[in-house]
Amino acid sequence: MKGKEVEEDKKNTIVCRCEDIAWTEVEAAVTGGITDPEELKRFLHVGMGPCQGRTCGRLTARIIAQKTGKDISNLKSTGQRPPLISVPIREFLGDRDE
Amino acid sequence: MSKTFDAIVIGGGIIGTAAGYHLSKRGLKVLLLEKDYLAAGSTGRCITGIRQQFSTPATIQTAMESVRMFRSMKEELELDVEWKNSGYIFLAHSEDMVEMFKKNIAIQKTFGLDVEFISADECKKIVPLLDADGLIGGAWCPSDGQANPFLVVRGYVDGIRRNGGEVKIASEVIRISVEKGKVRSVSTSGGDTYSAPRILNAAGPWAKNVGALAGVALEVEPDRHEALITEGVRYMGVPMLVDYRKDGGYFVQRVTGQFIGCFTPEKKVPGFSRESTLEFLVEMSRRMCRLIPAIKQVAVLRQWAGSYSMTPDGSPIVGETDVKGFYCCVGMCGHGFMLGPALGKFIAQYMTEGSWSIPMEEFAFGRFFGEKERMA
Repeated sequence: MKGKEVEEDKKNTIVCRCEDIAWTEVEAAVTGGITDPEELKRFLHVGMGPCQGRTCGRLTARIIAQKTGKDISNLKSTGQRPPLISVPIREFLGDRDE
Repeated sequence: MSKTFDAIVIGGGIIGTAAGYHLSKRGLKVLLLEKDYLAAGSTGRCITGIRQQFSTPATIQTAMESVRMFRSMKEELELDVEWKNSGYIFLAHSEDMVEMFKKNIAIQKTFGLDVEFISADECKKIVPLLDADGLIGGAWCPSDGQANPFLVVRGYVDGIRRNGGEVKIASEVIRISVEKGKVRSVSTSGGDTYSAPRILNAAGPWAKNVGALAGVALEVEPDRHEALITEGVRYMGVPMLVDYRKDGGYFVQRVTGQFIGCFTPEKKVPGFSRESTLEFLVEMSRRMCRLIPAIKQVAVLRQWAGSYSMTPDGSPIVGETDVKGFYCCVGMCGHGFMLGPALGKFIAQYMTEGSWSIPMEEFAFGRFFGEKERMA
């Protein structure tokens, strides 16, 4: 593929499906100096949706590695927050409000 | 040989980045050092609320100035920080609360704040989903609001860089040199030393430790608070609802449609812990649903915890310390994000001109924390 087509492809490649973030957006943020996965998560919201990075985590790590030359195995993955998968609030109400 | 700057800021949260931005805007060569990543501390863990409904003059005026700044932040920082004046309602479920809110409103109005005590019916008009059981009314300020703390910090950092300043992450300050009562330089975990005639401690919950590096005692203690956020649903403009009951809490609908909220634990959890608890998740769910029963259909995405930086009297400590050139803007007591833009601007002015925009005695370094205040 020619350079232009690759760029077009990246624009159409969704890295984070939960928050609808394209490859080019992640690349731009990394090029702009956000190279820490935790900071990238907070700035772009990659990994802040229901999947908590299970889908996008590896992709964003790869982009950071490519753009910064860092070894991908040295990149910390972002923290996982409870309840890990999204849970309807009614599940936490028990009998009290039912 | 050490590199020299006009000002060094320690801390990459809202206070440090806002102060750094305003110092750089005044033409100073600024270096900002953050030990972890930007907004890694309290700023990135807050629940995004921005209110002006406070009870003391300096805090009210600072918060009002912050709101003025949030309104024009998109133009100032060339970044949409998701500012929305979605308002705050302090809900009154007892006559004592009515009396307290009305007293605060009277003080707030002397500074020109657009705040009113409204009936329970009027609260329901603003929040149709509200369960008004036991509700007498509320203190409503429509110009209060919300913004995205990550974007605000990012905007300030980009601004510092545009103004010729430097921002370094993963750079912990481990030493501060003081000579003849005057601050001289800082050394980082990476082995670098930087000099400046002005150094600002904006280290949030770590303020006491950073102060100690320069031999300055600061009465700032961290204290854990938990929070949660739900998935997004249709934006209905639910303002920040502050339930003032003993088992209350506060939550708001973000412009993304998500509900974000927390409550103040009855028993304090001192220290740097950021552990989340199942108790919080269960309790917060109950407390949110008591006010808006429909929330039970929404799913929780995440919960987390962060530190409040508490002072004995609940007000920040802002000013020059007893080491010349060593300033502090610390002890935000849970209000850093909302007070940050204005305090950053105020301290930048003080560090360059030696003057304040508003009377700041309330926040003075070295003020006496009496026994009564300590108990509160």
